[in-house]
Amino acid sequence: MNHKYVLNLITVFLLITNIGLSGCAHVAPWERGVLAKPQMAVDPLPMQSVTRAHNYGSREAAASTHSAGGGGGCGCF
Amino acid sequence: MKTGSHQPGDRQQKQVDSSQSRESKLPAGSSSNTTLQALTSAALVLPGLLMQPVQAADAGAGADSFSFHYSRFQEGKRKLFTVPNNVKPIQADVIHASGGLSLTDRVKFSFNYSRDTWSGATPVTTAPLATNGNRPILENTPFGVITSGASPFVNTKILLDRQLNPIRRDPLTGQVIGKDTRLVEIISSASPETRDAANFNLGYEWNEAALNISGGLSSENDFESRYGNVSGRLDFNQKLTSLKFGLGYSKSDIAAILDQDIIPYLTRTAYAKQIESRGGSEILHGGRQDWTASLGLTQILGKRALIDTNIGYTHSTGLMENPYKAMTVIFVDPDVLNDGQDTLITGDVRALVEQRPGVRNQLAISSKYVQHISPFDAALHLNYKFSFDDWGINTNTFTVDWVQPLGNGWTLTPRIRYYSQSAANFYQPFLFSQQNFSQNVVDTSGREVWEDVNNPDTLFVRDENFNLLDRDGNLVDEALLNVQPKTTPFDAKKLPKSFSSDHRLSGFGSLSGGVTLNKRLVRGIELQAGFEYYARASSLKLGGGGGSGFADFNYYVANAAIKIDIEKLNFSSHSGGGSGNAQAHHKVSGQHHHGGHVPAGVMSGHMLDKAGDFMFGYRFMYGRMGGDILHGDLVASDQEVVTQGCSDTLNCRVAPTFMNMKMHMLNVMYAPTDWLNLMIMPKFVDMEMNLRELSGRPDPLPGVHEHTGIAGHATGGVGDTTISSLVKLYDVPGHRLHMGLGFSAPTGNVGLEFRRVFQIDGGLDHFGMQLGSGTWDFLPSLTYTGESSRWSWGAQLNGAKRMESKNKSGYRLGDEFQATTWGGYNLTKWLSASIRGIYTVQGAIQGDFNAFNGRSGPQDFPGNQGGQYWDIGLGVSASVPKGKFVGNTLSFEWLQPIRTDVNGFQLDRKGALAASWSYHF
Repeated sequence: MNHKYVLNLITVFLLITNIGLSGCAHVAPWERGVLAKPQMAVDPLPMQSVTRAHNYGSREAAASTHSAGGGGGCGCF
Repeated sequence: MKTGSHQPGDRQQKQVDSSQSRESKLPAGSSSNTTLQALTSAALVLPGLLMQPVQAADAGAGADSFSFHYSRFQEGKRKLFTVPNNVKPIQADVIHASGGLSLTDRVKFSFNYSRDTWSGATPVTTAPLATNGNRPILENTPFGVITSGASPFVNTKILLDRQLNPIRRDPLTGQVIGKDTRLVEIISSASPETRDAANFNLGYEWNEAALNISGGLSSENDFESRYGNVSGRLDFNQKLTSLKFGLGYSKSDIAAILDQDIIPYLTRTAYAKQIESRGGSEILHGGRQDWTASLGLTQILGKRALIDTNIGYTHSTGLMENPYKAMTVIFVDPDVLNDGQDTLITGDVRALVEQRPGVRNQLAISSKYVQHISPFDAALHLNYKFSFDDWGINTNTFTVDWVQPLGNGWTLTPRIRYYSQSAANFYQPFLFSQQNFSQNVVDTSGREVWEDVNNPDTLFVRDENFNLLDRDGNLVDEALLNVQPKTTPFDAKKLPKSFSSDHRLSGFGSLSGGVTLNKRLVRGIELQAGFEYYARASSLKLGGGGGSGFADFNYYVANAAIKIDIEKLNFSSHSGGGSGNAQAHHKVSGQHHHGGHVPAGVMSGHMLDKAGDFMFGYRFMYGRMGGDILHGDLVASDQEVVTQGCSDTLNCRVAPTFMNMKMHMLNVMYAPTDWLNLMIMPKFVDMEMNLRELSGRPDPLPGVHEHTGIAGHATGGVGDTTISSLVKLYDVPGHRLHMGLGFSAPTGNVGLEFRRVFQIDGGLDHFGMQLGSGTWDFLPSLTYTGESSRWSWGAQLNGAKRMESKNKSGYRLGDEFQATTWGGYNLTKWLSASIRGIYTVQGAIQGDFNAFNGRSGPQDFPGNQGGQYWDIGLGVSASVPKGKFVGNTLSFEWLQPIRTDVNGFQLDRKGALAASWSYHF
């Protein structure tokens, strides 16, 4: 594993985290009407994401960022 | 490899979603209340005032909802360049069911079940085109000899020039064509395979945090995986910021049954210690472990934008090879290569099971930016992911989604994705090795060494007169021994430590695009349909260098889903909201007391009462056959089966040992009026069967492949679809009578074939392994149900009449008739038990296969189908009488065969299970 990559990635992550915690524009709870719309959900189409992850995973070698589930078996097709 | 499960953490939609779900519960069509609605929804997102929904272990199932999803993956044909590719490419059918329930306000439970069935042709290895690895199959036709397809040859010879450039020859005439450096994938068809996976998730919600624990397993014939994970979320900063984390572990056991027909041509010495021989098959054993950790952050950036960033690490150890993939190694004799001549030389082409490193560390980071585009009320989702690992694979993924609401509950989401990866450092399309694959051993004086096959430690040499001498130079009597020249295999150390020609580890890029259409109906029902087209191309690799496009392919995926949200249902069917729950309860519980419970195995046994009512149901049926072969109602000996079980001219060679059938049925029912119900029922089936050789069997027929080994064979996919109507005939308190008029559409494939092995056509699979009837069928039924206090009873007559004389494979199934009667007793308000008697008669198959079929045993003859069956059914049924889940009913019934009288010779029955869940609203 290339340690430079790891360090860079961690830096990027901490940077974003820091932006988050230090706060962007404050959005009061009664100003969150737009954010509450279904199209603004982080994953607006979760069932589609399932299908796609399944297919990409069987044809590509990329790692996943939300792999805290694991399992899944071989599916060697 | 598939990623079959879905993880807590990635589906998190933040608090914004909870307000949405509340918002949707407001009365439909109350447009005058928009201001109030906006205020209400804003108030509802006040931190701490309400619970967030658990985005539990999966997609599709939020709290208190059920979803069912079907998708079809279809790959295009791979390019073979010189021969036509007429084998069916990979196709996969996936069904996915999920549900979520709130056990209490804070405790949520969810589950997922998915089943995949796939079949078709895949690459086993890559080789220079000049090896002619896809050997043409010739066929005599009235128009002369034509090339009808190709079959894989992984062990062959290749002509090379002195620079090791492949020289191609005509595969038929042997004539030299010239230098040809093109590569090709060697394609082999695979038998259908099925994978089942299930997981369960338990979550707890605090006001500003959540914790989930989940576990599951995935099971295939050759791969079993168990996994568990813990994940959670912490909200900060008045819920403007959420931190997510997850930790997971999975353990897999691999027992790959190596392809019986390729084994003789596959070099697998590297795995000798892991291969077990059993029942005539070779099984490669291995284990694998994966640890995963992830960390994520969701941050609201403003009133109209948010960002979601995740980092994930995966550490894997163990068998990461695909045991069905081989590396083509061309062995060249160094003495010949360096003999100073310039003539063409011959390379020895061999297939070695691929070897991957035993450890893999992967790191990925992804970031998603979501921006509301006010003029369109749309949302733009921009996603970028980068990942790299210590196999040398770097990947970049860019995805753009545009989520566009269209009004009236419609949403259209087009998307485009670009992906690029670099090759693994051990990826090679094929390898050269400057040594002989095997060579004869010579002693120090240059004499060939011989060994005794029965005692390989005893070595001999021959003198100039070809006399056999032992080590001490004494003459040995050869007649008492079984000697052969001693050979040594190639030196594995001269090959790379790891090598794979799997194109998924090569450098390439891909471009895909798709669209999803959503419709939210009233009463919490959501329908969804999606389509995506994907094209892989070496030339699309970021920065170039993807090599030639020999492994390029494309696929498309079409899918459809239905989701039912129970919380929304209970509100939306009433105006005024507040009393909704109570009214819904009253309505459904009224129905509950009307008609009693129909056992799980009875189809069309129950009608909806009121115009406008819906029912959504799922039914699972499992049937097993096994044990003896019956002739009529008597056990037949192997000898009887051999001589009488097939035909007058052909004796039987094999008979089935078992057959399992699993069927998943989805049932959507609607009552347009109170006397008529309409119903549609798609089915998904999978089957598994194994054969044994009969004792006293005749010899194999030339040109007919027989299935041996322990693997058995499977089929699966979409079955027939039933469309029916139920008509109420008579309804007084305690007694009801209704008629069913239905049709079965032949959506199940009846042309499934065994895979071709080498040049031998597998032919059509057995009658019982086809997925449907293949004909339009008429399905009438008449049902009577009655009840009095805690007792209920009923009877049904039903049948299936084939409306065509034959299906596309040349035959039709026999007509069916069934009579059944049952009695039930309510043990408690919510639990009832039933007992049922069933008589079924089915005719033999009419007509016969119109294409080649192996005719190896009784299962392949039309007269050996159908019969008369008597069964007893024992059932239980639980229904939720009140509360949020009112209207849910779960029933099970076991059907025990009492008497079986088959037509001709057939395998005995072991029993069947029916499980049914329905939700009435």
